[in-house]
Amino acid sequence: MTQDLRYSALKKTPFHSRTSMASRTNKYYNWNGYTVPTEYSTTELEYTAARNGTSVMDLTPMGKYEITGDHAHRFVDYLVTRDLSEMKDNTVAYIIWCNEDGKVIDDGTIFKFSSTKFMLCCAVKIYNWLNDSAYGFDVSISDVTDTIAALAIQGPTSCSTLKKFGATDLEKLKPFEMREYKIDGFNILISRTGFTGDLGYELWTDPKNAETTWDNIEIAGKELKLRPFGMHALEMTRIEAGFIQTNTDFMAAEDSLRPTRMRSPYEIGMGWLVHLNKNSYFVGKKALKKEKEENTTERCLVGLDIDGDKPAHGSVIYNSKKEDIGIVTAALWSPIMKKNIALASLKRPYGIKIKENIFAEIYHPEELEYRKIWARCKVVKRQFFNPERRNKVPADLYE
Amino acid sequence: MSDNSNFDAIIIGGGHNGLVCANILARKNKRVLICEARKECGGMVNNEITNYVPPVTTAVSSSLGGMQVNYLPKTTIALSETGQHIRLVGNQHIDHKSISTFSSHDADRFNDFHEKMSKFSKTLGSFMMASPPRIMNNSFSDYFKLFKLGLNVRLLGKKNFNEFARMIGLNIADELEDNFENTLLQGLIAHDSVIGSNLGPRSPGSLINLLYRMAIHNNSLFGGIFQIEGGNDQFTKHLIEKCKSNNVEIKTSASVKNCIVEDDCAVGVELINGEKVYAKKIISNVDPRSTYFSLLGSQNLDTDVKRKIKHHRSKGRVAKLILDLNKLPSFNNCDDIDLDSRMVVAPSIDYIEETFNPSKFDKLSLEPTLEICVKKDSDQNPKLDIQVQYAPYKTDQGWENVKENYIESIIKIISKYAPNINECIEHKKLITPDDIELEYNVSGGHWHHGEIQIDQLFMMRPIPGASQYKTHLDGLFMCGAGTHPGGGLTGISGKNAAKAVLDDF
Repeated sequence: MTQDLRYSALKKTPFHSRTSMASRTNKYYNWNGYTVPTEYSTTELEYTAARNGTSVMDLTPMGKYEITGDHAHRFVDYLVTRDLSEMKDNTVAYIIWCNEDGKVIDDGTIFKFSSTKFMLCCAVKIYNWLNDSAYGFDVSISDVTDTIAALAIQGPTSCSTLKKFGATDLEKLKPFEMREYKIDGFNILISRTGFTGDLGYELWTDPKNAETTWDNIEIAGKELKLRPFGMHALEMTRIEAGFIQTNTDFMAAEDSLRPTRMRSPYEIGMGWLVHLNKNSYFVGKKALKKEKEENTTERCLVGLDIDGDKPAHGSVIYNSKKEDIGIVTAALWSPIMKKNIALASLKRPYGIKIKENIFAEIYHPEELEYRKIWARCKVVKRQFFNPERRNKVPADLYE
Repeated sequence: MSDNSNFDAIIIGGGHNGLVCANILARKNKRVLICEARKECGGMVNNEITNYVPPVTTAVSSSLGGMQVNYLPKTTIALSETGQHIRLVGNQHIDHKSISTFSSHDADRFNDFHEKMSKFSKTLGSFMMASPPRIMNNSFSDYFKLFKLGLNVRLLGKKNFNEFARMIGLNIADELEDNFENTLLQGLIAHDSVIGSNLGPRSPGSLINLLYRMAIHNNSLFGGIFQIEGGNDQFTKHLIEKCKSNNVEIKTSASVKNCIVEDDCAVGVELINGEKVYAKKIISNVDPRSTYFSLLGSQNLDTDVKRKIKHHRSKGRVAKLILDLNKLPSFNNCDDIDLDSRMVVAPSIDYIEETFNPSKFDKLSLEPTLEICVKKDSDQNPKLDIQVQYAPYKTDQGWENVKENYIESIIKIISKYAPNINECIEHKKLITPDDIELEYNVSGGHWHHGEIQIDQLFMMRPIPGASQYKTHLDGLFMCGAGTHPGGGLTGISGKNAAKAVLDDF
């Protein structure tokens, strides 16, 4: 008997038979209309695998869009703030894109196969935005979210795992490069990219090949501390890496109701991705140029090193006069750094010129009562965790 | 900005708004070049497309140093198959008498209706002459302008204010049926409310179209309609002469390919033949869609701007049939003087609505609504100029295949009022909206470069964020009918744009 899917609200990914088998907790959440685990066993264990072994995450729900056509390269360069005119084939670039007011809509990665074929990956759905932006360019855009199964394989032993799985010479792949493999009769694209700030790869393949791939990777990583990991563990690793997340660290410009909540790239530490001297126009250029010229940037997104060991979830940040100067957008006690860290959105000049004498008001829950902690913070680089192995070529291999 | 700016301003498109704008700039000692794609300037103000014109406002004529053309009033006749035509001239007493012969009830009602509409059109009109506020500017003077419109409406008194609020989104058919019993009179006023638009008399918003028309035509329903002595092209010929005396340079057959953009600023234009001309300001008299997508180029636009321009509605639904005649046909119950009027074939509201219905589905109505004017060509031979309302921009069968049939159906309608029309015809020519698009380089072939409807008026004309004659590209302005206050051959867009450009120097 086939299952009646007419009223099922969330889709299952091609890995669902495997992820659901691996899940001990049955904790799922809705990511772009798919149901995926937040946690398989315990977040701490999964985090530990990501930092010491190999972690595997089902990335299929991530928005994936194929951009093809004669103007594909020109269009991609027009869409994003970064200068991609020199981008090489078979490479990947981290990008952000803005609306006409120069406010960030989302971040993501762009994969270049050739000057007429690209793939864009991002956390949320942006098909309409891409289509509307593409007006006047000879490109066609298709949503390939459902037709490409994706896995993140991250952690120090990830390269060894994938080599055993069949990806020969993978250690020679440089960060932000990608290579097409043929494994078990299927094409698998492997890119050296990821969201954990560590050595790591992402796999892209046909959904038909999903279950075999999962099984074979599990076998390959058996001796290499492999473990599936969920969203909670990913959240921990990405904060340590200083990566930003849309609608957590900033509001997506297309989603926020209040114009004052929209953020320009300069306000979320992404100024390095804005190339105003790019030859051609890009969406938001006029507004960003004006912001830069008139120096009207109001906020900044910084890393905080906070005294004590109580995570500053959602804390308000104050200056020494107890004036409200910002808010913590993401926080945790970092097990690997042994530090209490946070990402915070601050009102300038705090975070830029004034980096000391700022305080977080932490409400620490203790059995139905809050302990209020007034913790001193120091503004530090947002990239808290950045091990040498992350960008090492050839990548570290383990037996 | 480029140093080799030969001109102070280049105007793309030598239609009447471009000519007005050029003259005003030149009178302020600016070196102006007009690039016109066609063989001659004038755009759609010529003897072929234009049947009649509104009076030129004193504001426009004084900024041009006076207009020396003669305006001759044109009366209106609603043709009736029975020969019981209604003749209206725009004079309260004469029109009252004229309508009384059909219905004394309607005659009295007409005066009240006219007074009310005239009051409202004046209120809107005061707002129409100046440049519109730009709501995205957040500037005090812009908010003040908006406040003043609100205040003007409120100052009409509570009763009128409520009435204005009731009417602003109303369809004209409901209002006319509430007021008048004579279907011919209803049809005539409904015709004037929807002409040139994509609305039927029962479409919401068709009433504001009438107010808009009245605001241009002396705040009168039938009084502010003129033809120019010697032909309507005298209007543009006079403007071209003025250009010459003001040392405006005019390049004809000079089609502009695109704007030259340097440093995110418009610095010149590139012609189709590859020639490049530089200037400090570029002013586009082309319709908004072409200005943005062709001149500026979609690769230079933000996504939101593209969305707004794509939403911009500019598909024309008026065709023009020109019949060259060997002699004047005799219209039933009309004398020679009547033939100088504009003759409207719109016997009732339902007739117009039924004409409108098929056009929604890109189909033709074989009983179209007509507005007929008798003109003379250069050899003094008579011709009939017929505006055919609700000819779709494209037809589902393709215009080429249905044109002949369509022409015959129009002539059949006319023969009901002028039985001998067939023997008078020498030559027939139908100009469809897509012909207008090609011939006059107007996207959609729309008279007004864009629908005159509430979402495309005032500070929303042509699109929010580009409403004060500026485009999204620094140095590139717009002065065409697509900008506030819109089409209607007033030249106000050209005049206001000139002011915006001068303020930017």
